[in-house]
Amino acid sequence: MRVLVEYTREERVKYISHLDLMRTMQRAVRRAGIPIAYSQGFNPHPVMAFASALPVGVTSEKEYMDIVLEQPMSLPVLKEQLNHALPKGIAVREAVVIEDKTPSMMSLIKRADYKVTAAGVDWNQVIEAYTGASEILVEKKSKKGVTTINLKDAVYNICKDEENGEVLHLSLKVGDSSGLNPLSAVNALLKLSGAAKNEGIDLTAAVHRTGMYLIREGQWVTPLALNID
Amino acid sequence: MDKLLLDKIMGQVSKPARYMGNEYNMVEKDPDDVNIRFAFAFPDVYEVGMSHLGMKILYHLINERKDTYCERVFAPWVDMEEKMRENNISLFTLETKDPVSKFDFIGFTLQYEMSYTNILNMLDLAGIPLKAEDREEGHPFVIAGGPCAYNAEPLADFVDLVALGEGEELIGELLDLYADWKASGQSRISFLEQAARIPGIYVPRLYDVKYQEDGRILSVKPNTKAAPERITKRIVKDMDKVFYPEKIIVPFMDIVHDRIMLELFRGCTRGCRFCQAGMIYRPIRERNLDRLLELAERLVHSTGYEEMSLSSLSSSDYSQLEELVKQLMERFSHNRVALSLPSLRLDSFAKEFIQEMQKVRKTGLTFAPEAGTQRLRDVINKGVTREDLANTVTDAFRSGWNSIKLYFMIGLPTETEEDLQGIAELAKLVVDSYFQVDREIRQKGLNVTVSTSSFVPKPFTPFQWEPQDPIDLLREKQQYLKNALRSKYIEYNWHDPEVSFLEAVFARGDRRLGNVLLSAWRKGARFDGWAEHFKMDAWMEAFGENNIMPEFYANRKREKDEILPWDHIDAGVSKAFLWKEWQKALKGQTTQDCRVNCTGCGVSRLGEGLC
Ligand code: SF4
Repeated sequence: MRVLVEYTREERVKYISHLDLMRTMQRAVRRAGIPIAYSQGFNPHPVMAFASALPVGVTSEKEYMDIVLEQPMSLPVLKEQLNHALPKGIAVREAVVIEDKTPSMMSLIKRADYKVTAAGVDWNQVIEAYTGASEILVEKKSKKGVTTINLKDAVYNICKDEENGEVLHLSLKVGDSSGLNPLSAVNALLKLSGAAKNEGIDLTAAVHRTGMYLIREGQWVTPLALNID
Repeated sequence: MDKLLLDKIMGQVSKPARYMGNEYNMVEKDPDDVNIRFAFAFPDVYEVGMSHLGMKILYHLINERKDTYCERVFAPWVDMEEKMRENNISLFTLETKDPVSKFDFIGFTLQYEMSYTNILNMLDLAGIPLKAEDREEGHPFVIAGGPCAYNAEPLADFVDLVALGEGEELIGELLDLYADWKASGQSRISFLEQAARIPGIYVPRLYDVKYQEDGRILSVKPNTKAAPERITKRIVKDMDKVFYPEKIIVPFMDIVHDRIMLELFRGCTRGCRFCQAGMIYRPIRERNLDRLLELAERLVHSTGYEEMSLSSLSSSDYSQLEELVKQLMERFSHNRVALSLPSLRLDSFAKEFIQEMQKVRKTGLTFAPEAGTQRLRDVINKGVTREDLANTVTDAFRSGWNSIKLYFMIGLPTETEEDLQGIAELAKLVVDSYFQVDREIRQKGLNVTVSTSSFVPKPFTPFQWEPQDPIDLLREKQQYLKNALRSKYIEYNWHDPEVSFLEAVFARGDRRLGNVLLSAWRKGARFDGWAEHFKMDAWMEAFGENNIMPEFYANRKREKDEILPWDHIDAGVSKAFLWKEWQKALKGQTTQDCRVNCTGCGVSRLGEGLC
């Protein structure tokens, strides 16, 4: 039985790395007594996979973990036990059964949306500068080295919140070569308008992931749409 | 703590999770609901501090008290320190992010001498006067404990109180006293004087040290009737009744020892003569099997850890080890909990264990013969023979191990070239043993690692009177071994002799070193145990400025009648016993394991039915 779990990562635990998160989930699953399947081989590990990694310092209301169970289990019970075993600041919101053969979330998810909050930044000016530029080059570091990509290729959508002037909505590509870490994107935007002072990532702008999406029948849907129940 | 400001600097430092807290099983209390706030301070980074068993025990123990909130604080890494100073952020705890200066106590644990500058740095970052005598009403009391507290003299200027020995009972008595004192509105010094009456509490300020012209100590005497002539360490009598945490914090980050630690017993009966732990933690006190299984069960469930280690000085000496290992394996192998036995000794390491452990996981095997020849091993009373080593590694190679680590010390008393040669020979013996195992059976890719540390004479050991080898001589010895260990199967690691030299200075130091610590810290010394931050020049300048000859402490032979800086501390083991052991060492005579027969170390004085 394959289960997709939607969970949050809140303010109080936002500085953990992706590796830390994986370790935490593994131990939480053990504490919760969830009958997770283990891989075969010399060094067996629990079968769990994650969607796009969340950078250190970013919060999220919808993250996804995909686990395989050895025996079926009631989903409300799974949710309850897992929540009990998780550190505060990580909470399971939903759990759904998905097709055993579903491709990995990593390969399916194509878009992630963010809410960027910063006091004292004129987002109109940022958006104007962004729209006006034909090319905004951003360095992207990966295992293969540093590449340069065009921010304009990485953004699906950018707009100011209608009510709260401190908030910017940013929708980014995920998964292909032009995908960009949200902090790099935000930093590039802030620099563009002269709002970012230093080279480092300036976390006085709070970056919050609001959702991740995949395409199904030509529509953007959340991963929960893979539910087969 | 200004959250925005904290967020800003957290984005600019490496591994911000070090300062975040909020781990699973972290204790949360409302500070307004408690009377006493205790900051448990570990003078090294999070990954090191969180690996420490004593901290886990005391943190959860203190938090059992309704009237006290114990929080954690670690030494900020250099990048964090820079940002904190830049932004005027005071040292804060992980739990509430409140400044440590608001707390009632700051408790430092002294695990190694090279963390002393971090203590000064943390006090400074907290905005607390460094010298105990400059602290006033409203400042926290600074208390230190742990193995180095047995000679805390180099820190005497900076700490208000020192806790000697095991803290589980003592800390409760101290906090009870504090609660009364706080309610009474008496002066700071009156608290210290009352605390000095608690057995195991040492208040350095209540003692005067006089020196002779040649620099040796003339006398150490209490300057008030409130303080006892000698301070005796505390020991917990019943290991089954004493508190042991059933929930421990599970860090998000990868830490040095990221696993459940099951403490089988305290103390050690072997009597290795270089080993301070083996002397100061006496006598041996075991937990019973059922209690251990119960604790293991609860810890596995409360943490989700996938690994458990048996943590005692010489775990394989546990009287029911076979039964324990068998039962742990039975209970937890279906939970996929791997068991590791870190401090195995060659002589009691039975073949079956190798087989048993293999079922779960196979990590590198570690052996510590400590010296290269039988003669020198007799001098240090390390009861391991060449045959033990050969047999054990052969069994290990037959069972599929291919990676062996060997630990030795250089610069031990009476060492000659032959003993160094002996190290190389033992390493070759291991290599030969491997090739004697059938090619079909042994695992490919032999890897033997030889590590040498440089001997540091420690207080409360039979070698406490001995000089350390000078730095140059240690270097020569390392060079000798580099040549002697040239082999494609052997890797040789050694410790920086300059660091060992400083360890030797501070391990047997006196109060005059306080100013050296201060000068070195002002010159930027911190994280001295980390090679990338170690600044020998700063240290040598600091000695010079204070007219202190470090060689006086590290490289000088002491006579039998010399008053040692720690003679007013009673660690249980008597000075007469240590001297007798030293004389036996010189004759190459061994002393038997005192489990078989009491060898009269003196610790049994500390309580009835202890040994
Ligand atoms: S008093 Fe005797 S039995 Fe007890 S620790 Fe000392 S030597 Fe061993």
